[in-house]
Amino acid sequence: MNEMDIPDTAAAPPRAHCVADSAGGLTFQVSDWVRPGPAAAPGEAGPVDALVLVRRGADPGAEDEVRLPLAPAEDGRPQAALPSTVPLPEGRWDVHVAHGDAEPRRVAPGLNDLRSLVDRRPGPSTSPLSVRIPYPTKHGNLSLRSWRRAPHAEAGEIRAEGGELAVRGRLYRVGSPAEWLAGAVVEARCRRDASRVWTGKPVLEDDTEFSFTLPLAELAEGWKGGEEAWDLWLRPAGPDAAPARLARILDDVPDKKEIFSYPAQPVAAPHGPAKAGPYYTTNNDLAVRVEDA
Amino acid sequence: MHISFLIHNAYGIGGTIRTTYNLARTLGEQHDVEIVSVFRHREAPVFDPGPNVRLSHLVDLRKKSPTYEGADPDHARPARVFPRSEGRYKQYSRLTDRRIAEHLRRLDADVVVGTRPGLNVHIAREARRGPVRVGQEHLTLGTHSKALKRALRGAYPRLDAVTTVTRADAETYRGQMRLPGVRLEAVPNSVPEPCLEPADGTGKWVVAAGRLAPVKRYDLLIRAFEKVIAVRPDWRLRIYGGGAQHAKLRDLIDHLGLYNHIYLMGPANPLDPEWAKGSIAAVTSSMESFGMTIVEAMRCGLPVVATDCPHGPAEIIDNGVDGRLVPNGDVDGIAAALLDLINDDELRQRMGQEALKRSARFDPSRVAGRYESLFTDLLARGKVRGSVHRARGALLSGAFATKDVGRTMLGRMRAA
Repeated sequence: MNEMDIPDTAAAPPRAHCVADSAGGLTFQVSDWVRPGPAAAPGEAGPVDALVLVRRGADPGAEDEVRLPLAPAEDGRPQAALPSTVPLPEGRWDVHVAHGDAEPRRVAPGLNDLRSLVDRRPGPSTSPLSVRIPYPTKHGNLSLRSWRRAPHAEAGEIRAEGGELAVRGRLYRVGSPAEWLAGAVVEARCRRDASRVWTGKPVLEDDTEFSFTLPLAELAEGWKGGEEAWDLWLRPAGPDAAPARLARILDDVPDKKEIFSYPAQPVAAPHGPAKAGPYYTTNNDLAVRVEDA
Repeated sequence: MHISFLIHNAYGIGGTIRTTYNLARTLGEQHDVEIVSVFRHREAPVFDPGPNVRLSHLVDLRKKSPTYEGADPDHARPARVFPRSEGRYKQYSRLTDRRIAEHLRRLDADVVVGTRPGLNVHIAREARRGPVRVGQEHLTLGTHSKALKRALRGAYPRLDAVTTVTRADAETYRGQMRLPGVRLEAVPNSVPEPCLEPADGTGKWVVAAGRLAPVKRYDLLIRAFEKVIAVRPDWRLRIYGGGAQHAKLRDLIDHLGLYNHIYLMGPANPLDPEWAKGSIAAVTSSMESFGMTIVEAMRCGLPVVATDCPHGPAEIIDNGVDGRLVPNGDVDGIAAALLDLINDDELRQRMGQEALKRSARFDPSRVAGRYESLFTDLLARGKVRGSVHRARGALLSGAFATKDVGRTMLGRMRAA
């Protein structure tokens, strides 16, 4: 036997199947995991199994690692739950399994059953909205995208035509969305120059749904060539209330940028010919880009 | 039975590889099964052949391997046995000619199965007397060049059986090739039962999946869906897959202003969880050798709206019962069939249930069962025919007697 065959087999990673519930909770079922030793029974002393989530890019520290108990389910396979009530700060979390103090092992993705996340419509509440979407990384590992927002403005249909953007969305996680929206303004904030802010009024469509129209030429007024990004927010009345970022996170798609794509439109800017269009950032926040035509 | 598959590259990704693994794995539960890969370019296979199937290779193309053979001067010389008109000709060489011939000359199996035309030619010309020789056609005869058809016409009479994945293609073989005494049999590809709950048919999503290639005609689907959302703007379409047509399809969606309703999702693997998010599947190809995605969607409980294109769809879908067939290329027909299912929740649910039930005939266990009876018939026929014509019966028992010797030789070769 060729000795190069050996590492492949030995390195076969544990795998986790993921099932999402509509409240934002996740269940992980682990298979193909060869533990370094037996796990302690409940109540006994000894090494316990855990599913370990580690936030990517974070310094090693308690708040950037979440350990979830891993216990046998009915079918005997180890299972862990991440309820929506466990706070998971925004970011990318890498999934591992650990046996006692042994070095945690990275987990490969299995089947991700995320059907309950498609077209998610969270109920009324004022606690932060939890969104966790498992996904396979390009290196073949399992990770999670996490968002935690209150308030949250979910972007919906966007029409990009006639030199305008017509945006619809829904507001979540405030006491009275209709009241909140009635006093709110839409802001487009220029990322390059904080002093440039476009404001408009949202139109209330029903209790939680709003719409607004953004004339692209107005964003292009101070444009001086190159690429300029504008982030979209809803800012409520009152100095203390937190603004809501427009984002699209209430579904099963971890990275919107390439999939939720919209045409750019030509804009007559004082500086010269430009084009402008909406896009989702790598964090799935809604933004507008003005650039050379 | 000892069954030996011969495949181009068992270490890659592709429809033929996946379907061969499914079949070998299932046959391996009852029989002695091996997959012999002409090439090996990586350590571990992408798909899992299961615990009972032996995997070996004839030419090592792993650059870091001590037995790397890519630099062998014979590998730079053009192949003589592997037909020039075969699509993979450039990858074959004097070295592969020799290795495949050596393998086939000493192969002591009961059945040897080739998985592409060039390898079937090798088997027809070089397999020793004894094993039943089966050549699989995973594409269609119609898609082969005239030159390749000529080459197959010369070699295939020496096979015991040719299998196609559709009855339609088996008919084409019957009509265009003179293969007296060669059994022609249509055996569909298999699709295992998904490991998750079937779709419940409540989501307002149509799902399509496949390479973004011209033959898949996603442009038709996009134009048909424009008509769908004119009536039902609450429904949307997801198209999974990557490919050269991406930019063109993106432009079409933007040009028609359908970017709030049609999404190009990119490649997804595995696909089953994505089917399960939909309520209807759509396949609008102009040609499907088989129609694997139709079966995959049905196994997840989706009714499929498909164009009645050559060759597979009509053999998979029972029109009006577990899905809908519409005329090839007919945008209005696709839109109307989708709307029929969208507008009638009860009909959609019922067809989804039927799709789930009827697609069970593509389960690997059933498909393997059909191969098993084909092989058994051929073995019996071989004994009768052989005793009269080619004295195969005697050689067949000879093959059993020399089995262990052959195994040892094969083992030695692997160790080398």
